[in-house]
Amino acid sequence: MTELQKLREAFRTALDLPADAPVDDLHYQDNEKWDSLAHMSLIATIEDEFSVMIDTDDVINMSSFAEAVRILGKYGVTIND
Amino acid sequence: MNLLHPGARVIDAATGETLTAEAIDAAEATLAAEPGPLVFHPISTTISGIARYLAAFRLGRPVMLLDPEADVAHWAERFATDEVHPDLAVLFTTSGSTGNPKLVRLSREAVLTNAEQIATVLDIGADDVAITTLPLFYSYGMSVLNSHLLRGATVILERTGIMQRDFWTAAVEHGVTSMAFVPYQYEMLRRLRFDPAKYPALRKLTQAGGRLRTELISDFAQRMATVGGSLYVMYGTTEAAPRMATLPPERLTDKLGSVGLALPGGSFDISPDDEVVYRGPNVMMGYAETAADLVKGDEMGGVLPTGDLGRIDDEGFLFITGRAKRIGKVFGVRINLDDVEKNFPVAAVPGGDQLIVYAEGISDDEARDLRTKIAEWLGTHFSGVVVRSIESLPLLPNGKVDYRALEASL
Repeated sequence: MTELQKLREAFRTALDLPADAPVDDLHYQDNEKWDSLAHMSLIATIEDEFSVMIDTDDVINMSSFAEAVRILGKYGVTIND
Repeated sequence: MNLLHPGARVIDAATGETLTAEAIDAAEATLAAEPGPLVFHPISTTISGIARYLAAFRLGRPVMLLDPEADVAHWAERFATDEVHPDLAVLFTTSGSTGNPKLVRLSREAVLTNAEQIATVLDIGADDVAITTLPLFYSYGMSVLNSHLLRGATVILERTGIMQRDFWTAAVEHGVTSMAFVPYQYEMLRRLRFDPAKYPALRKLTQAGGRLRTELISDFAQRMATVGGSLYVMYGTTEAAPRMATLPPERLTDKLGSVGLALPGGSFDISPDDEVVYRGPNVMMGYAETAADLVKGDEMGGVLPTGDLGRIDDEGFLFITGRAKRIGKVFGVRINLDDVEKNFPVAAVPGGDQLIVYAEGISDDEARDLRTKIAEWLGTHFSGVVVRSIESLPLLPNGKVDYRALEASL
């Protein structure tokens, strides 16, 4: 699995979305399943999947799929297909 | 006594919109055109949501507070009526653990009295600024609004929540002094390494909506102490409009684990079977299961058996020791559902003459195995136990399992 697929999978798992659901354009405000509990689960999943520890500021900044890609870049994880 | 102090302010953090007298007047005009007397109100955390609530309250029309994201049509159908009791002011849906969904009937006096009791023990003043952290159809969330409006304080409306930057930006921008959280939010705050020093105006954290681990109580009390602020551990239930007790922050260390003292005007005692009974002017009028119940007057007489087990120490501090039993039956034998949950990682509900348990994400094989183990533990035949796999258990706004939703899915 590519890093991009792993990240998509993490979003689908945390937000309880079907396996083929598009997630690349997801934003916190637009998805009713993306509440604070789902966000906790998303952060935990990403930390496990990419073996990183995400800082508080980055946790609360991760408000979209695109932001997650950007933030993971700071931790040395390059999200490529 | 009026719920809305003339000095009170409500500001939407995202839009900058504020609550005005005109907005409430307009909501009143809208209500006048709707069939009454009951006001159905799927309430969002918005200026218009609050204006409609306050307009109904001012008109003396009972308002039923509902989740705006849930399917609420059945409530309107079930409780359609042209007659209500004149004292009736606010209706909440219950988070009761068994039986049919029902409403808690709160009188105008109970709502106002409890807002005043809370404002007193939390020392809420006109310079206080609260921020929404909980939905307004949930009694804790509504009590934060009421108690601040009553004292002419400010309430900031925020909808994204503590896991998002916008929330914390709003807290700084508006000089928020007070935040209210339920236990799972404290777990999140710990994960976020919450540092009150980042929010210079913040002085009070309140906690209700279930038991918070004592480790977290001490932890957050210490964090607040470093900035000269306090953590208020509280105890309540929707049936008490909703607050019954607060632990004074200066007693938090020597009474760790207590939910505190009864609010001014209230008192606790313990029944012969160890149940905590609250007495006070904020106790509900009763439940409503049908529209006909909305005509009924006070059925409680200010006395509320809480369903919690507890003890009171020699200084009057209440300690909750457990929940009065949730009971199911298997082949006619009564079983304690809480005991089942203590022994197995499941949520248990009664299902006629069977025990139904829900376990998160288990396979068919694991379900069969679990069924055998629970039946053995109960000393009953396995056909008395039904194990269902569920992706995730439905939760109430306070993070507790929503048993009503589970029972509805049977």
